[in-house]
Amino acid sequence: MIGPWWRIGWRNLGRNRRRTLIAAAGLALGYFAVVVMVGLMAGLTAEMIENGTGLLTGQLQIHALDYRPDRSIYRTIGGDDGTDVARLLREVITDTAVAGAAPRVYAGGLVSSGEATTAGILMGVDPNREPGVSRILRSVVRGAVPANGQSQILIGTEMARQLDADVGDTVIVVAPAADGSMGNDLFTVSGVFRSGMPELDGSYVFVPIGSLQQLIALSPGRVHEIAASTTDPWLAPIAAGRLAAEFSTSGLTLEVEPWTRLRPEMLDYARLVEAWDYFVIGIVFAIAVFGVANTMLMATFERRREVAVMLALGATPAKIVLSILSEALALGVISLIAGVAITLPILVWWHTAPPDLSWLYGDFTMFGALIRPVLRVEYKPAVAVLTGVALLLTALIAALYPAARAARMLPADTLSGI
Amino acid sequence: MRRPGYAAFRTVLVAFTVGVIGAASAHAQRTGRDIIDHVDRIMRGESSQGVATMEVVTEHWQRSMTMDIWSLGTEYALIRITAPKKEAGTATLKAGDDIWNYLPRVDRTIKIPASLMMGSWMGSHFTNDDIVKESRLIEDYDIAIGYEGLRDGVEVWELDLAPKPEAAVVWGRIVYQVRKRDMMPTWARYYDEDGALVRTFTFSDYKTMGGRLVPARMDARPEDKPTERTTILYSELEFDIGLDRGFFSLRALRTGEGR
Repeated sequence: MIGPWWRIGWRNLGRNRRRTLIAAAGLALGYFAVVVMVGLMAGLTAEMIENGTGLLTGQLQIHALDYRPDRSIYRTIGGDDGTDVARLLREVITDTAVAGAAPRVYAGGLVSSGEATTAGILMGVDPNREPGVSRILRSVVRGAVPANGQSQILIGTEMARQLDADVGDTVIVVAPAADGSMGNDLFTVSGVFRSGMPELDGSYVFVPIGSLQQLIALSPGRVHEIAASTTDPWLAPIAAGRLAAEFSTSGLTLEVEPWTRLRPEMLDYARLVEAWDYFVIGIVFAIAVFGVANTMLMATFERRREVAVMLALGATPAKIVLSILSEALALGVISLIAGVAITLPILVWWHTAPPDLSWLYGDFTMFGALIRPVLRVEYKPAVAVLTGVALLLTALIAALYPAARAARMLPADTLSGI
Repeated sequence: MRRPGYAAFRTVLVAFTVGVIGAASAHAQRTGRDIIDHVDRIMRGESSQGVATMEVVTEHWQRSMTMDIWSLGTEYALIRITAPKKEAGTATLKAGDDIWNYLPRVDRTIKIPASLMMGSWMGSHFTNDDIVKESRLIEDYDIAIGYEGLRDGVEVWELDLAPKPEAAVVWGRIVYQVRKRDMMPTWARYYDEDGALVRTFTFSDYKTMGGRLVPARMDARPEDKPTERTTILYSELEFDIGLDRGFFSLRALRTGEGR
């Protein structure tokens, strides 16, 4: 494999080490820039997806077929008779990709304290199961999560402000019930949460699922939603398909929606960012091509007499091209090794301990997801490999023109100094 | 506490009003506005007291409630549910643009926030907004006579109500049909901003109650759920019974005074 022309190419690299080092540094830096930039963009996307789905939505949701989009309180899983919720939860959790599952009941209602009244979305949750699906119950800033079986509610900081109510206060909750009556009862504020999302903090009220079912006259077997979390957000669509198939074989007609369908705008954004990966690779290496081409042009120009001698001694132009391309390839390999050597440790370090930029920026929201101001970096092995290939290709493409020029020179003219 | 000059002001006002009405009747022509104003006042008088049954039929349940109703002008109303037992004592007070509900189960009064004005009142097909805005037609809408003539052998007006540009209303258009013979409303159709029919109120069972001819029955039917309806049936109605504003207080709402 290592023929003389390859060896010539390799040795030529060592003739002007400073120039070689500078060219290699440029390519290595390009590699570093692409992999880190793509990793950062993937980090932002992952942050958005994890926060957007993990805060409340869950990575997949199960409803009665006709529940969405109207969200009528009558459209419970299993129809008016309800279903065996515990069995359904067990079935969902046995899926390999599912990490946790929790039942939910929704109602629109009023929360009133003293003179103030505000409209809210009442969400019945199981305080024991919900933390396995979403982070919302973990965002309590005062007091505690409501306990199962108690007439307690958890309200957001904004609603607490509007109602001028705090932990321990009694509030009235009114909601139209499934039997046509106006469900109304007194509840104690057990805690106040802050999610950072204004629409959650101002209008969501978390109630133990049994207490809410009682308020709105739904039997314990009637729930609107089973929400589940998956071990990896990207496994949700496959898990949803598996669960839907499983339900249909056991005679349940349910809608199983992964976040990619519940929140299509997030999926679109993730896809757009992935398309940008290729743009970044393209732009960085397009710039690098000219740098490397310039270097190679200089290197071959300096050696024009030497090349002329080789041609005069009977070397074919193809061999000259081979020697210059192998020089470029060797340069690419050195750059790649250097690039990986500087990129890998920094990537691992950033991934395990993302630099916190909260001193510079506050939290911000994107597609209804709260994004922490950290430089989160995700590993993208496929992109790292692709970038490596792009780097080598860049070196080769950059050498094509100098190689062609060298191979086409006229030995006599060059040697005579023209 | 009569302010100086008030009597004079009132005299001027009365003179002006009489003048305007005189002018209107001199033309022997009723405007759409007059007709709607008349229809608006039929059920109310200066003050009124009545007993009504509200029957609500939905896809999922059907229930009937009996209630006592008091009103004063167009600004005040008090409704107290007397049956069934589960709901008895639940009351609604309307004062101007505000609505309060009294909930006997928790013995608390709550004010309905603006964001819930389009919410259902007591599970019926009426919204809280209907209760507040019921009497505002002539203020919030430009009224024109869209059709005048025979419909099914009865002489009627059909009035087109278009919201005034500055009016905070939810309907895109309302069409009211009123019988010419006795100025009784027969139906009202409510359209959304895209011109689609949303619901229809039908009036029937015209009878004399408290000395006036009134439609004793009103059916509300939502267009998107043809099997559903709310029917209000008046069994007693009296007018000009001398209620004053003090009757329509939050205290009265809670305690049920005045029964």
